[in-house]
Amino acid sequence: MTDIVPFLKSLISVSGLSAYEGPVARLIEETWKPLADEVSVGRLGSLHGLKKGRAKNPRSSIMIATHMDAIGLIVTQVADGFIHLEAIGGIDPRILPGTPVIVHGKQDLPGVVVMPPMKTLPEDERDGAIGLPHLLADVGLLPSKVAGLVRVGDLVSFDTQPLDLAGETLSGHSLDNRASVAALTVCLQELRGKSHDWDVWTVATSQEEVTLGGAATSAFDLHPDLAVVVDVTFGKGPGANGWETFPLGKGPTLGWGANLHPFLYKKFNELADRLEIPVTLELVPLHSGTDAYSVQVAREGIPTMLLEIPMRYMHTPVEIIAIKDVQRVGRLLSEFISGLKSDFISTIVWEEEEKSKTQ
Amino acid sequence: MKALIEKLTNVFSPSGFEDAIREVIRKEIKGFADEIHVDALGNLIARKGASAGVRDGKRVMVAAHMDEIGLMVTHVDENGFARFSNVGAVFGRYAPSGRVRFANGAAGVINNELLSNFRETPPLDKMFIDVGATSQKDCPVKLGDVAAFERPFLDLGKRVVAKSLDDRSGVAVLIETLRRLGSGPNEVYFVFTAQEEVGARGAGPAAYGIDPDVAIAVDVTSTGDTPMGRKMEVALGRGPAIKVKDAGMLADPRVVSWMVKTAEKNKIPYQREVLIMGSTDARAIQVTRAGVAAGGVSIPARYVHSPSEMVDMDDVENSVRLLVALLKSRVSL
Repeated sequence: MTDIVPFLKSLISVSGLSAYEGPVARLIEETWKPLADEVSVGRLGSLHGLKKGRAKNPRSSIMIATHMDAIGLIVTQVADGFIHLEAIGGIDPRILPGTPVIVHGKQDLPGVVVMPPMKTLPEDERDGAIGLPHLLADVGLLPSKVAGLVRVGDLVSFDTQPLDLAGETLSGHSLDNRASVAALTVCLQELRGKSHDWDVWTVATSQEEVTLGGAATSAFDLHPDLAVVVDVTFGKGPGANGWETFPLGKGPTLGWGANLHPFLYKKFNELADRLEIPVTLELVPLHSGTDAYSVQVAREGIPTMLLEIPMRYMHTPVEIIAIKDVQRVGRLLSEFISGLKSDFISTIVWEEEEKSKTQ
Repeated sequence: MKALIEKLTNVFSPSGFEDAIREVIRKEIKGFADEIHVDALGNLIARKGASAGVRDGKRVMVAAHMDEIGLMVTHVDENGFARFSNVGAVFGRYAPSGRVRFANGAAGVINNELLSNFRETPPLDKMFIDVGATSQKDCPVKLGDVAAFERPFLDLGKRVVAKSLDDRSGVAVLIETLRRLGSGPNEVYFVFTAQEEVGARGAGPAAYGIDPDVAIAVDVTSTGDTPMGRKMEVALGRGPAIKVKDAGMLADPRVVSWMVKTAEKNKIPYQREVLIMGSTDARAIQVTRAGVAAGGVSIPARYVHSPSEMVDMDDVENSVRLLVALLKSRVSL
């Protein structure tokens, strides 16, 4: 297996905020082209890779969706050389001060997020973390220069560099969800040596962090018979030990709840067991907060499954994941795909149907 | 345009009950469209330009919502006081002492129960409408009747004040654009949408039916130009706002750049909009079918969702000019 880390590091070294995925899409396209039969772009900017199956037409198809867009910031106002900000996606403003950023103005400007002096804040907002409406980006230039280079609506992206940590873990921005894009790429690499009946749509979706709109429209467009969404989930860490958190490096989670199809859960769980890939049950009682939510109800409905990679410090510029989990997801996906028989869809049954069959 | 806006804002049509405003708009656009129809959600759809397969132009959808925020009667007590629920985002602070008008012509005033703290804004369920009745029996309104705020149109010269400028000012812009458009390369659908104020419910199905290549929502946007107001650069009088982002969506970057280039080429003043609260029909249109390149032309407005919203007539006129220029152009995104 090719080492996926350099590719993943390249993915988290570029911007590609929601609706502006271009920079990261180009990297993915370059890597997928030799691995897939066709690569095209959806109407909202999602990247669609197609690897054709060997069954006769009409072939069934499976869509594997991993979002490539990243959270970030956008300029709301430029005043006296300082840049006011609003979030694109769910930003935790507590960690923003001190974060290196790039302000994508008429030219890319390196900058840093700063807090204004306490005395300039309203009295009731001087304690605790400073909210986003009071934070600023400073690019170091004189006000007249800034006014000429930066406009309302310009993007501001994180510029933290990838950081190898001990124990084969990696830290950086946008690992949500480029770690999953890397896992899907591992899957594509593995599929080169395997035969599969089904058509495989590998999709790097746009705009997940804002509307889940890339996945919704790609699912409509590609009209797959099955879908698997890969995203990240909450890793166990300081003060995060509840049922909704999962250890890093101990394998991906398999989603279970109304948002996902129980039959697919069963199949993935059996497969992981057989391959001796560790997996954890992840309870998803409501909205999964992922593309699975919009994919499931596209067109006449799509049986959808969710795999997630545990991550610490989600939605910060210093997210952390374990490389092993990325590789495991890639392997699990490729094995699932190559194991799909052409009549798999007809074997999907609800428990009550199964019961009535055996009676 | 002023007279048209006055006429449109004087109509009472809360979300889901758009009959009255639809009838008025239908008369205003008569003779200017090639085809007019009303869909299952009550959207009024007027096509202008090439049908039977668009040849070299694009299929463009332009949407302005014709509904407005309002109230629905939920209970009439024995003394004839009507309790109500909101239809769309009605803010408690704007409601007490407001006047409302029902579809059947009945009118009333809103007030609230006596509160222990008179400084606090009462929740809507502590308010009632007094329609001048003396008992449940002689009350002219009943359960399910809807009302909208009534406030006379105010002409301040360059600027006008009225209720439901959100989004009747947008409706006026669409009507005027349709009248001025003439022939062009594109198949243009002017859609006067229903139910925007209750979650952009009308625009999605309309877009599904039309299946456009490009869509533009014309709606109002808030401004940052009032004393100690919100941190936002949009101001009244500086031209239509080209939407980059609002709380519900990111406008398609290709559409943003098409709008900016068109405005600059035609020397139409414009502003760039990043709106922190609220969204428009473009949000629903964008994710329809396989996706639509969607953006927004916004009319800067102060005091949005109050009975006294304010827009600048220059912005209204420049919005029309920008739309006409956009729709006449060959679109290549």
